[in-house]
Amino acid sequence: MYDSTSRRQFLSGFGATAFAAMANDNVSTAPHFPAKAKSVIYLHMSGGPSQLDLFDPKPQLKKYQGQDLPGSIRMGQRITGMTSGQSTLPVASSLFDFAKRGQAGMEMSNIIPWHHKIADEICLIRSVHTEAINHDPAITFIQTGFQQPGRPSIGSWVSYGLGSENKNLPGFVVMISQKASVNTDQPLFSRLWSSGFLPSSYQGVKFRAGSDPVLYLNDPDGMSKDSRRKILDLSSKLNQMRADTMGDPEIETRISQYEMAFKMQSSVPELMDLSKESDATFELYGPDARRPGSFAQQCLLARRLVERGVRFVQLYNRGWDQHNDLPRDIQLQAQATDQPSAALVLDLKQRGLLKDTLVVWGGEFGRTVYCQGRLTDTNYGRDHHPRCFSMWMAGGGIKPGTQIGETDDYSYNIVKDPVHVHDIQATLLHCLGVDHTKLTYKFQGRHFRLTDVHGNLVKQALA
Amino acid sequence: MRFLLMSMVATGLFAAGKPVDFLREIRPILSDACFQCHGPDESTRMANLRLDQKESALAKITQIAARVGETKPGRKMPPAHAKVRLNAAQVGLIQKWASEGGAWQEHWSFVAPKRAEPPAVRLKAWPKGNLDRFVLVRLEQENLKPSPEADKPTLLRRLSLDLTGLPPTPQEIDAFLNDKTAGAYEKQVDRLLASPRFGEKMALHWLDLARYADTHGYHIDSHRDMWPWRDWLIGAFNRNMPYDQFTIWQLAGDMLPNATREQIAASGFNRNHVINYEGGAIPEEYQAEYVIDRVEATGTTWLGLTVGCARCHDHKYDPIAQKDFYRLFAFFNNIEEKGLDGQKGNAAPFLKLPTDTQATLEKEMTQAIAAREKRIEDAKIADRMAEWEKTKLSKMSAPARNGLAAHYELEGNFNEATGTYLHGRYLGLPPTASDGPVGQSALLDTGARIEIPEPNGFNEDAAFSLAFWFRGGNKLEPLTILTKKNGAGIEIGNDEVFSIGDLRRGAHLVITLTDAAGGKRVYQSKRPFPYNEFTHFTLNHQGAGAIELRMNGEAEELAVSGETKPMGIRNGAPIVFAQMIGSLDDLRIYNRELSAAEARQLAIEEPVRYLLFHTGIKRSKAQAAMLRDYYLKHDSGDELKSLYARLNQLKAEKKQLDEQIPSTMVMKELEKPRESNILKRGQYDQKGERVEVATPSFLPPMPSSLPRNRLGLAQWLVSKEHPLTARVAVNRFWAMYFGNGFVKTVEDFGSQGEAPSHPELLDALAMDFIESGWDLKKLQKQIVMSATYRQSARVTPELKERDPENRLLARMSRFRIQAELVRDNALAVSGLLNGEIGGRSVSPYQPPGLWEEVAYGAQFSAQRYEQSHGKDLYRRGMYSFWKRTLPPASLAIFDAPDREKCVARRATTNTPLQALALWNDTTYLEAARKLAERSIREAGADPAKRLKHMFRLATARYPSATEMKLLQASLDGQMAEYKASPEAARKLTTTGESKIEASDTVELAAWMSVASAILNLDEVLTKE
Repeated sequence: MYDSTSRRQFLSGFGATAFAAMANDNVSTAPHFPAKAKSVIYLHMSGGPSQLDLFDPKPQLKKYQGQDLPGSIRMGQRITGMTSGQSTLPVASSLFDFAKRGQAGMEMSNIIPWHHKIADEICLIRSVHTEAINHDPAITFIQTGFQQPGRPSIGSWVSYGLGSENKNLPGFVVMISQKASVNTDQPLFSRLWSSGFLPSSYQGVKFRAGSDPVLYLNDPDGMSKDSRRKILDLSSKLNQMRADTMGDPEIETRISQYEMAFKMQSSVPELMDLSKESDATFELYGPDARRPGSFAQQCLLARRLVERGVRFVQLYNRGWDQHNDLPRDIQLQAQATDQPSAALVLDLKQRGLLKDTLVVWGGEFGRTVYCQGRLTDTNYGRDHHPRCFSMWMAGGGIKPGTQIGETDDYSYNIVKDPVHVHDIQATLLHCLGVDHTKLTYKFQGRHFRLTDVHGNLVKQALA
Repeated sequence: MRFLLMSMVATGLFAAGKPVDFLREIRPILSDACFQCHGPDESTRMANLRLDQKESALAKITQIAARVGETKPGRKMPPAHAKVRLNAAQVGLIQKWASEGGAWQEHWSFVAPKRAEPPAVRLKAWPKGNLDRFVLVRLEQENLKPSPEADKPTLLRRLSLDLTGLPPTPQEIDAFLNDKTAGAYEKQVDRLLASPRFGEKMALHWLDLARYADTHGYHIDSHRDMWPWRDWLIGAFNRNMPYDQFTIWQLAGDMLPNATREQIAASGFNRNHVINYEGGAIPEEYQAEYVIDRVEATGTTWLGLTVGCARCHDHKYDPIAQKDFYRLFAFFNNIEEKGLDGQKGNAAPFLKLPTDTQATLEKEMTQAIAAREKRIEDAKIADRMAEWEKTKLSKMSAPARNGLAAHYELEGNFNEATGTYLHGRYLGLPPTASDGPVGQSALLDTGARIEIPEPNGFNEDAAFSLAFWFRGGNKLEPLTILTKKNGAGIEIGNDEVFSIGDLRRGAHLVITLTDAAGGKRVYQSKRPFPYNEFTHFTLNHQGAGAIELRMNGEAEELAVSGETKPMGIRNGAPIVFAQMIGSLDDLRIYNRELSAAEARQLAIEEPVRYLLFHTGIKRSKAQAAMLRDYYLKHDSGDELKSLYARLNQLKAEKKQLDEQIPSTMVMKELEKPRESNILKRGQYDQKGERVEVATPSFLPPMPSSLPRNRLGLAQWLVSKEHPLTARVAVNRFWAMYFGNGFVKTVEDFGSQGEAPSHPELLDALAMDFIESGWDLKKLQKQIVMSATYRQSARVTPELKERDPENRLLARMSRFRIQAELVRDNALAVSGLLNGEIGGRSVSPYQPPGLWEEVAYGAQFSAQRYEQSHGKDLYRRGMYSFWKRTLPPASLAIFDAPDREKCVARRATTNTPLQALALWNDTTYLEAARKLAERSIREAGADPAKRLKHMFRLATARYPSATEMKLLQASLDGQMAEYKASPEAARKLTTTGESKIEASDTVELAAWMSVASAILNLDEVLTKE
């Protein structure tokens, strides 16, 4: 029963795991049913975007502006140490106008005009909720299914489950957008793309802006391609002789990994080279798309990655943690991300790739209806809010133009169709043909899963 | 097929015809397939049936056998919805077990080890001791033969890598080859066990269990200092501290009677966990996590059990109830710690580690400071100040207005205050108001762009003065504070911000003048200014580009470079603040130079005058302290003034001293223990039943003589009757040598762990270990002296097929050395290695920007990678600064863990990223260059001799004739290539900071290329 899948699993990571370290019952049997999507592009909005100012309109809040959040709404829920000391929790209505967009009549705020164009492509969920109220546990939770460090990331689970379709590129690629200006945003951690207890060949490989997009990809100055090839040939021949003497199959694996490294030295620059992209494409993704390291350019690169069969592309955009000056800062964030996010969906669609690609957009939690710091007519801040926030999904397996879930008048509690973080994760795997209860890995005697012992499919979201 | 065979090895299916072996064959099936619903966890138990306990299981044995054999969906066990299925062989085993009457034994690892007689073997000449007989008897059962002994160079390389983590030198190999005495091998073993590298090598593995790192982890991940604990650890291994004592010290050294500094430092094992201080996080939540982490790490390290599974509910497979977990939790819950801590390096409790001199000095200084503070307090300062305040203002004057072209008070705006209406314009974001030295200050951030029109009648070619307060923000790169420039002009900023001490930062002020012809002159302050405090700058332009600077009223020396001729810098442009990250206050522009007295007045008098003048302001603590400071410095009378001056000097000296004294985090009990409760579903705020300390009931009880605390727990762990501690330790050491332990799941000796491949041998070694007085070196020697260890690692086709993982030990395991050793090996063979032992961690080469692109910001430490230089670049991998949210890049590529959690075994992957790192990481390129230089230097002019030497340095053996041909051909090819492009050769050989010790760079480049190929060989990365 093990034989048919073992070889594939053994080689399906980016690289291979020595036999000695493999547990014999850790064999992925995925896919469990036909997949709708082949790849995922996950746009993580780090910091926690305000649902109240983007996707979850509450026009009636104008009436309650400045009034204390009613106890009947808060219901004694815990709040962070940043606002628990405030004497009042005054309601801050959004400064931005909302209107119905697309055939679907999806209400969105006017600061994300490009999203209006994809209203009929996406499934907007306004009722996502999480369990953590601070960044570290919340982002770890949504990216690994557990609040504390140590578990594999979603991308690693997917790589482990499904392997890669491109042998010259990693199956799980991570990009962190860098702002043009100085960065003082919430930090990120390598654990978010780490393989946890899965073999490290499943961890995300970071692609960076600049001349060395993958760590150590470039040969040193003074070494020609030909010279690199000759050095590699010498190693390979000597390795082959050693393999013949020692009989260890691991040596043959090493020879093939070295070949793959050599191929990456051309496949990665080819991928990163945008010179053949049309002006129309750059226009679509926006002016930032020409700046290396920008979110816009990384969205474009994400498309190029899934075109080449890369399984999981994880993007991080920082800067959504708007405790103060939210009206000003959220517009800056929207400027940097609205057009590229929407362009990605539109671009995938026009190339016929959207049906095979699942795009996910969202942060680690939402923001509070009550103001953090001083509330004025033109300014407010919002604290972390785990009890409801908005995310959207689009593409392979997702029913377009769908809206799921409702929150109460204060966007504080969910009143209809709650969707837990584990449900998002289960649904993501489902689109890839993976049953989240069956994708397991035995570690420390237990069969672990991305969704722990939880998770229900968000059936309304599925096409 | 391979996998099936492996599981057969483990479950012993090769031995057919015998009665079933309950522990190896039946219990694992029950555990895997049945315990989920019929096991220890009460909450999920079905049909009130337990199969992990003898009575209840045997009572139902007929039904069990029947139900697993059922074919009807509703009757079959495990049921359709379960994840587990039994195959025919497993069903057969269960039925056979039932038909044989249901033998039952308790789970092997929970029962004390038994000493089995060393078995009789057929191949009598082979065993060198009892260890080998246990191995051989198993091989003979399988009709396998052990492999021949490895050749001497291979053996010495293996032994050196295993015991010291470094390869043998050619001299060491020669000595061993030439030693024909019977005890030659043992001599090498003893030599290596005595090497101080032994302690480093053992510590290397222990650091993963201890989750050692140089940062706190979690969100902000700033630095901490646990290296004194690491130093202790290395020393403990080198002194061969008995493992029982080693255990007690690490778990509870602080609680030993009259604990020494060393014993207290050792207790840092359980302070190595991650610590959080994310703004807004809830302290109780994290304090609970720390305790849980201690329980888990202790469970994995000493018990080899996954106790963490019982955090949320009773363990599904092992008899660890949730209550047991929280009883263990209670042992570790009484630490004098805070839930959120670590902003300033180590989190309390920590132990300062001064030298004797430092300790005396510190004590004296503390007393001297306290005495002076008391004298000042006794002088009734508050009363005196109240008097002083009544008259002081009348004696002060406002700063001069003559020549004042413009004044920006920056009270939340950029309005001009002298009445010119030349207000600043916001082209970006407006400033935020926050407390400043003089009223409010303007906080500018990334989006800032502010223009101030040129003041009326202002002329840069004449004398002028610019005075302002500045405090840097969270930018570490060089920053432009302001420009007044239009081709020609002036630009004021600072250079790269650097750390002074743990949390303080500094930078130099940089003033750049440009004249109309494009000539540039740069002034730089010779001393840095404190970057995270307000500093007052008065910049006097005397005309023609001559500048003088005052910082906080004091003249500051400037370094000058560039244009030396008089400069005209007139520009007519506005003053611009663009993307200025920081705070400004009280910006004044004068059409004349300010005198020294005026500069002092602005820097020192004006903040005081402002406070005295605006009596309506409720003074902040900082403002009150500022007034007091001013009073004591200037107006308190000669006696108090000199007393205060001395006090400040003492405080500064003490601060310097404190920064020099290292500290290390330790355990320390609260005087009154914290209450411990069961946490429902593992949630910190869901407190259930109150619990007291106790060890799990399925293990031997804690003797009543032991104290009911952490110390008692540690002593219980190393009691002779404990079934787990010795086995777990021995098994882990075995895995270090052979790649796998007898129990492959070195972290799990419970039901779901794998049964041991050689249970009698594991028990024998465990008992020997205890009986030796927990002698660690003796244990290592016992293993490496065995014939089993000395076998060749060659894999025959038969073994490759029958036993790919080498569980039967018919050969030596062959596997890639771990991340740190990949580095150490390259440094050692190239001669670059800096062998210093212990001390602070260092920061070797790393591609730029890796930390910065994920880090939080400048206000915390360890957010920016500050690479080391000189010999610190060549320390062993274990001393690389370990930032948990971004561990050392080239180690992580080779499976080094992030150290956020206790890790008992690393994966060993083989990836293309590893090839890229070994090709192109500066470390390995430089090692290739140094290996080339070394070969050229040591082996003379003959290329063949050089190649042989180089190859031998890296592999411990000489190349074969065929290998030599390949090497020679490659060398010739590289030589030709670099002869054709000497510029390429020059570029290649400048990699790394070490000096080039060869005159002919073309030759060096060719040799370096060959050296790089050799350093990339599988054989070099592998322990054979």
